[in-house]
Amino acid sequence: MTPDHRSAAYRLTPDQLALRDAVRELARARVAPRAAETDRTATFPEDLRQLLATQDILALPFPEAHGGIGADLLTVCLAIEELSAACATTGLILAAHELGALPILLAGSDEQQARWLPDLASGRRLVAFALTEAGAGSDAGAIATRAVRDGDEYVLDGSKRFITHGSIADLVVVFALTDPKAARHRNLSCFVVERGSAGFSIGRLEHKMGIRGSPTAELQFDGVRVPAADRIGEEGEGFSIAMRTFDRSRPGIAAQAVGIAQGALDVATQYARERVQFGRPIGEFQLVQGLLADMDAATEAARALLYTACAAIDAGDGDPARWAALCKLVAGDAAMRVTTDAVQVLGGYGYVEEFPVERMMRDAKITQLYEGTQQIQRLVIARSRLARG
Amino acid sequence: MSGAIWVVGEMADGGLVRISTEIATLARDLAAASGGTASGVVVGEAPGAAAGELADYLPAVRAVSVAGADGRTAAATTAMAVADLIAAAGEPGPTLLLLGATPDGRDVAGMLSALLGWGVLVNASAVTWDVTVGGPVVEMSTFGGRLITTSTFTGSHGIVTIRPQSVTAEPAAGHGVVQSVAASDSPVLRPVALVDRVAEASAEAPIEEARIIVAGGRGVGGPEGFATVRSLAVALGGAVGATRAAVDAGWIPYATQIGQTGKTVKPALYLALGISGAIQHKVGMQTAETIVAVNRDPDAPIAEFADLFVVGDLFEVVPALVAALRSRGT
Amino acid sequence: MRIVVLTKPVPDTTGAERLGPDLRVDRTASPAVVNANDEYALEAALKLVEAAGEGEVVLLSMAPASAPETLRKALAMGAHRGVLVTDPALAGSCTLSTARVLAAALRTLEFDLVLAGADTSDGTGGVVPAGVAALLGLPYLSYAGRIEPSGGRVRVHRLSPVGYDVIEAPLPALVVATQALGEPRYPSLKGIMGARSKEIATLSLADLDVSVEAVGGAVGGAVATTRVLEVRPPVVRAATEIVREPAPVAAARIVEFLQTRKII
Repeated sequence: MTPDHRSAAYRLTPDQLALRDAVRELARARVAPRAAETDRTATFPEDLRQLLATQDILALPFPEAHGGIGADLLTVCLAIEELSAACATTGLILAAHELGALPILLAGSDEQQARWLPDLASGRRLVAFALTEAGAGSDAGAIATRAVRDGDEYVLDGSKRFITHGSIADLVVVFALTDPKAARHRNLSCFVVERGSAGFSIGRLEHKMGIRGSPTAELQFDGVRVPAADRIGEEGEGFSIAMRTFDRSRPGIAAQAVGIAQGALDVATQYARERVQFGRPIGEFQLVQGLLADMDAATEAARALLYTACAAIDAGDGDPARWAALCKLVAGDAAMRVTTDAVQVLGGYGYVEEFPVERMMRDAKITQLYEGTQQIQRLVIARSRLARG
Repeated sequence: MSGAIWVVGEMADGGLVRISTEIATLARDLAAASGGTASGVVVGEAPGAAAGELADYLPAVRAVSVAGADGRTAAATTAMAVADLIAAAGEPGPTLLLLGATPDGRDVAGMLSALLGWGVLVNASAVTWDVTVGGPVVEMSTFGGRLITTSTFTGSHGIVTIRPQSVTAEPAAGHGVVQSVAASDSPVLRPVALVDRVAEASAEAPIEEARIIVAGGRGVGGPEGFATVRSLAVALGGAVGATRAAVDAGWIPYATQIGQTGKTVKPALYLALGISGAIQHKVGMQTAETIVAVNRDPDAPIAEFADLFVVGDLFEVVPALVAALRSRGT
Repeated sequence: MRIVVLTKPVPDTTGAERLGPDLRVDRTASPAVVNANDEYALEAALKLVEAAGEGEVVLLSMAPASAPETLRKALAMGAHRGVLVTDPALAGSCTLSTARVLAAALRTLEFDLVLAGADTSDGTGGVVPAGVAALLGLPYLSYAGRIEPSGGRVRVHRLSPVGYDVIEAPLPALVVATQALGEPRYPSLKGIMGARSKEIATLSLADLDVSVEAVGGAVGGAVATTRVLEVRPPVVRAATEIVREPAPVAAARIVEFLQTRKII
């Protein structure tokens, strides 16, 4: 059955172009010069996080009523893409902040939104998303962190692993088991835990292949008391909130992937123009041209699918999960392929720190892993296909 | 247009600024070519000494003393005094005023243009007298140095500001006459009080008139790196310059910045260390007579317009160069 | 604290420049940007108004009718509104005419301070602000590295070759800004979006008093006080000699080169 595509057309508006160009300029002038150092020292670029806040980039996903810009998903993704082309860690600051905020945006009460969103929109506070556990990666149903009701509060016990920004976020959105006997889709609830809460501590910080400037933390909950007013949505609604979150956060990761691919493609292209071997720039050799052409095609295709997916999701398409999975699947694979080929174009120079493509290749890998592995994305797509016939 | 050419001299620390001697030389040449006269004007609280210096270059100089001038900025005082002199001179007064393209010179030129209603041509690199045109022909570089325009005035009067080192100063055959004039303090222009003069320890030697400039860019890497730049400047007897990148990074003061938002210089030698040669910097130094560049990047844009381009690490080349210069007995 | 910033759209220096067949600047030939030095003046103005806690920053431009788009970036940085003087008769204006028109426009505005950039990248003039100050009888404080208004006066650090002079005058005054005042801010995203709804008032010569009595003489391109005789590209430098040798060898070559050129 041919997809409808009625809601999937996009055209970048003047405002979107102006915002994209502003972020691109900022990325070029302020973010790119810091990327190598951020990776080499594996240090979170706090100064760049401040810059994203003061430039209102972190405000993009939030409603105007709470001090945000109220940008649509496509616009947020444009910003993530431009930042990621310069530095994947910095692009992730926006993407992860949006990810953590989405449960509040999608399911928070008016009171909760008024309480939390202004500080998040201004970038004064960061929010992280904590679903994954040591024993629950692709298998979200295996979550073991417990939240037991006690009067006006819940008591949280358990631990989370691989949480982006987990060690620096002021707010952490935690998914915990409230009803172990309920069906898999109905046993989780969603809570907001404040940093500094008694019993909440940071465990190990991961040493990663890529996005090394982004802190990835293990979180420990030992009898953490959370007011019932800080539960987002109803008891048992946690899984649904997480899935609805992914519909909008997976395109963000696709945007990161497209950005990484574009950055690598630009470096490889420039290198091919300048590097002389056998008396000519290597860009004149067909084997190199073949690589560059395939890299360009892969990047543009991933980009086109991403923008189409965003437009469809923003327009209220009936199957956002499929769009989110499609764009994330294609973009992640494109990023891995394009960055690997970029290293190939640079040859030996691609393997050493002097050029950024080896970092970009290491950065790209995560886009095939987090927010649902490529394998999970395929399951989502196939199920959607088979369900609609 | 023929008649009198006036050089408006510029003073600093009681003496005459060197550019005024260059402009005076030019004025004599133009007067000879046009069949007119050249003279000078120096305005200040005690202009006698500076006027005397200018008189080595011109047959006549008016020294206009203005009480209280030392406590005010020069521009308004000078512009008012010159405008008054011109009004008092009656017909035929001066038809062409020449000033330096310096901060003070620009300020005075702009004010005089408005007060007198005369056109102004700025940053001239050359001025000649063209009999067919019947007036001065002024060459200037525009659009970041990518075009050279030659212009003239449509009317019978004009003001030109001239870049440092466009003309070689040559004293006149004899010493000119200095005429002392007391200015009337007509309140046409609002005076600005000069409250204090501050000399900063970090200040570098002025680059505008330097014959040799050794400049550092992003490749210098930090304020400590500028010690290397300075060592070469010292060895060559030159001044230290910088690109916007180095200044914005706080490695060296803004006064040394050369480029689109900094100064334009025309030294005999511009030695660029760790400078890529992007257009915004190029426009400030591309008319230097000789350009030598050292950069690790063989594809730096400066390689296209330098006369000599050394691919190498400036922190290795400069010490070797300083040693080579020293061993020559320079 | 009401500040007017003189803003000039100029051709982007990285684009292709042209003088048209009439040897006037062809301002359609390449994308226009706000003159780099004016951005420093604008940044200083924004900081002063922010520090005062009240007031507004108004952009004033004399430019072709296409200028509003270029002013949007300046509005996005935080200027509150713009005034654009545009008139076909002004095409080809000289610096004197420009100063007269800007003075006439400033007479329609109320301000404590006028700020201008040190000079423009398309004509490297730097004389217009001085002319404006002279025509309006404003104290003129140039080459500012620091601007400190207080109690109806303004104190400025005027950059000098050895440091700076401290100069001072009563307000209203005209100050010429330099880069030493501080890097212009990037427009924030909210600023960019807000710029679309900020007002740019357009004035033609008919809306201003540009009589000879008011501004001292005629204005417009037809009465330009200067004209271009000829345009040519600069002399092409001879081909670059490239040296790729170890440092001592390269150094010796440099010394030899400078000797041949009689520099040392």
